[in-house]
Amino acid sequence: MSQSHVSYAQILETNNLMQNCSDETYWLCVTRTVQESKLFPVPAYMMLSYLMAFYRYPSLLRKIETRLLAEEIGDRARNMGMKIQNPSMGWALPGFYLLGREWLINMGLLKPTDAIEDIIYVMNFWKRFQLSSHRNDGHITNKEFGHRAQLLPERRLQVFHADMFDCIAGDGLHSAAQAFMAAASQYGFLIPCESRISMCNSGPYKIADDREMVVRDFMDLSESDFPWLDDIATDVPHNNVTVTMAVKDCHFHLMDDWGSFESKPEFKPEQLVGVGLYTSDHLSDGYVPLGMNSREELISTFRLLEEKVRDATTRLWKRIAAWKRDQMIDAGAIVYFAIIKDLAHIAGVYEVDDWMKVDERAERFRPLLNDEFSRDALGELVGLVSHPSQQVMEYTMAQHSNKPTRMYTNIPYSVLQGEPCTATCGPLHSGITNLASKKDAYRTTRGILTLAEYNRLSREWVPPLLTDKYRFLCDTWVKYHAGTPLADELYHLEQDKSRKLKGKGSRLRRTDVDRLLNDRHVVLHGLARHRDRGAFAGRGGGPAARRCHRRQVHVDGSGASGATRRVFTRLCRSAREHRHERGVWSI
Amino acid sequence: MTKLYVDSDKFGYQAASPTVEAFHGAIKDLVRSKLATLGGDWNSFVFEKSYELITADDMRKIEKLLIDAGHRFDWSAAISPRERPDIYKPAAGVSDASISTFSFRHPEAKTAPPDKDGRELCGAGDNVASYPTNTVGVARYIRTPDKVLQFLTEGVPVETIAVIDDSGGTLTAPILAHFKAVICAGGTVRSHLGILTREWGVPCLMNAKISGIHDGDTVELEVTAVAKTAEAYQTGVEMTANVWRLKKA
Repeated sequence: MSQSHVSYAQILETNNLMQNCSDETYWLCVTRTVQESKLFPVPAYMMLSYLMAFYRYPSLLRKIETRLLAEEIGDRARNMGMKIQNPSMGWALPGFYLLGREWLINMGLLKPTDAIEDIIYVMNFWKRFQLSSHRNDGHITNKEFGHRAQLLPERRLQVFHADMFDCIAGDGLHSAAQAFMAAASQYGFLIPCESRISMCNSGPYKIADDREMVVRDFMDLSESDFPWLDDIATDVPHNNVTVTMAVKDCHFHLMDDWGSFESKPEFKPEQLVGVGLYTSDHLSDGYVPLGMNSREELISTFRLLEEKVRDATTRLWKRIAAWKRDQMIDAGAIVYFAIIKDLAHIAGVYEVDDWMKVDERAERFRPLLNDEFSRDALGELVGLVSHPSQQVMEYTMAQHSNKPTRMYTNIPYSVLQGEPCTATCGPLHSGITNLASKKDAYRTTRGILTLAEYNRLSREWVPPLLTDKYRFLCDTWVKYHAGTPLADELYHLEQDKSRKLKGKGSRLRRTDVDRLLNDRHVVLHGLARHRDRGAFAGRGGGPAARRCHRRQVHVDGSGASGATRRVFTRLCRSAREHRHERGVWSI
Repeated sequence: MTKLYVDSDKFGYQAASPTVEAFHGAIKDLVRSKLATLGGDWNSFVFEKSYELITADDMRKIEKLLIDAGHRFDWSAAISPRERPDIYKPAAGVSDASISTFSFRHPEAKTAPPDKDGRELCGAGDNVASYPTNTVGVARYIRTPDKVLQFLTEGVPVETIAVIDDSGGTLTAPILAHFKAVICAGGTVRSHLGILTREWGVPCLMNAKISGIHDGDTVELEVTAVAKTAEAYQTGVEMTANVWRLKKA
């Protein structure tokens, strides 16, 4: 077609979204690291993956939305540590697609006016997903939030916070947790062929004046989608593992859209003072605790997982070291392109040929991908930003480099006044692979499933917290409805698997959780509560009770005059009655 | 010849890399000629006929143009020159035979003759994490999957300080935890290898500019030095840790 039916507003928004991605991609690429490996031809597979993304994402995302909308999947993302976290969705989805577009423009195979309905659709899908998955912090990306990722609702954070076990450098739990995270990180770089996309950090969350919590996800660890893990990762008992970390005297000032962090002072292992362990996927009821019944059980769980992961690392490395170059390129390109594959799993429309094959349209360019051309073309695309299409008027000062460059080419507005354009790159084409066929076995929280079973369960299951009854009960609603039966129901669902918070309800605040964890607090506050049990237990009860509470704790009840004491008594009785009616929880 | 949309670029002229420019220039020539066969009908070309008109064989011919002109490509993955030695520059210092005489010789390596304690400065690198004491061990070059497989099979020799020119985290994946320390000639403290050595608690210097260290030399790494910070990279501040040779192999 030569014309399209897009609006001015759609192009305005799309170009805005693209340029936000442009600025952040540049920053991430130049401040992170050079992608290189003696084992994998990394730039070669990355360039191929970008073309795969350009040709396939529009069709695959439309297919996904036949079952679930982007914003519905975004809701699911907050409920688990599956691979639709920020590296996949916050950055890679638009990034890979747009990098493919930009490269094709520079080869003369595409005009900026081509596939404009695809571009608008992909960016709109991304926006809706991001706004939904980030709805708690109200931003579209970590970058927009000043490199911060506070995705989780209070009820989940309280469970993470309360159920962590304390540890200190050198003790059994600290050593076991550190060893597991090191082994999982090692494995997590190998599975995705020398990229960091199997791991994601989010947060930080303030859990005490001197402590922050970071949530670390390790994803796609077991036999699931990647053929190269078949018969290698069989014994890895969980596909996704989430580690919650409490860190003392260390502020995580940066949590980027690649899921990596920076802190001041620099995070060191001895600052790790608490850990928890979970697994999850879209078939689980949120995060399922692993070995969290006791400290000893958690230590042995970390040790067992470390052993399994280290064994899988060695076996996988040997398999990969025996591969041909084309197999390495296939695996790398597939793992990059398929970084958003879990969208299809969640929607229950996953097909191996959609995600584990190199699209024949992209495959045409494989003969170009020697190490040198790939390195230079990639470096120009994301680091130097020196391809011809990326040069703009000399007055321009790019956000980070001050150079007259722009990573992604805008859609020209001239298409609205008749400049010829095309709408879409067309439907899915077939694909090829040099890798072994995928075994029909997928490790999930429901056990090892065939793909047919997996898709069926995916279509049927809605996690209770995401049913229509609770889906829109956000933290803002809870702020004004804490203690109501519905709010308590909501919190009870989240607390059901908690060791410390089961049944505690919705009035709980962070300091209450902290008291559970801190003997000093329990002793100190326990003394105050003991003097007026009932009236001052827990939090809440309205302004009068809170004033009364502060007064009582501060003056220790001894300095009040007779008149003041009578006022206090009356206020406190009122507060007690009020709180009793609302079913206040007390620790 | 048919003109392409990108032929009218006001600000962009050519790629910075000659190799990229050569490839892209050849592809654009190809597109112009194929588009001409359709009478310049872009809309039928771009997402329909181009899939048949622009083929993998065309891309092979473009690569051959450069090879026939005498160009040989740089390589980064060991598999690349192994499979196609005809198109890549020769790989030095990767075989067992050549490794005994090989050493990194960075032109900016900070070197000095042995001091009164016999420590010969051989360069410096960016310290990933600070440790209470310096690390002493035996330098062993690890530059190929074959070497990793050998150590995986026979066990990593004790006291091994791995000397690596790959800042990735996969080449040495199954044996990294067994190193006493790592000297990496590339990357930054935030590279995959830097991240992993920090996680394992293996002392490591990244972006090491070293010269003259041979396989089997006993070396000392100044890992008591302050770890290089993100700010130091962004502001260009030098924060390095020294590498000394204590004894030749």
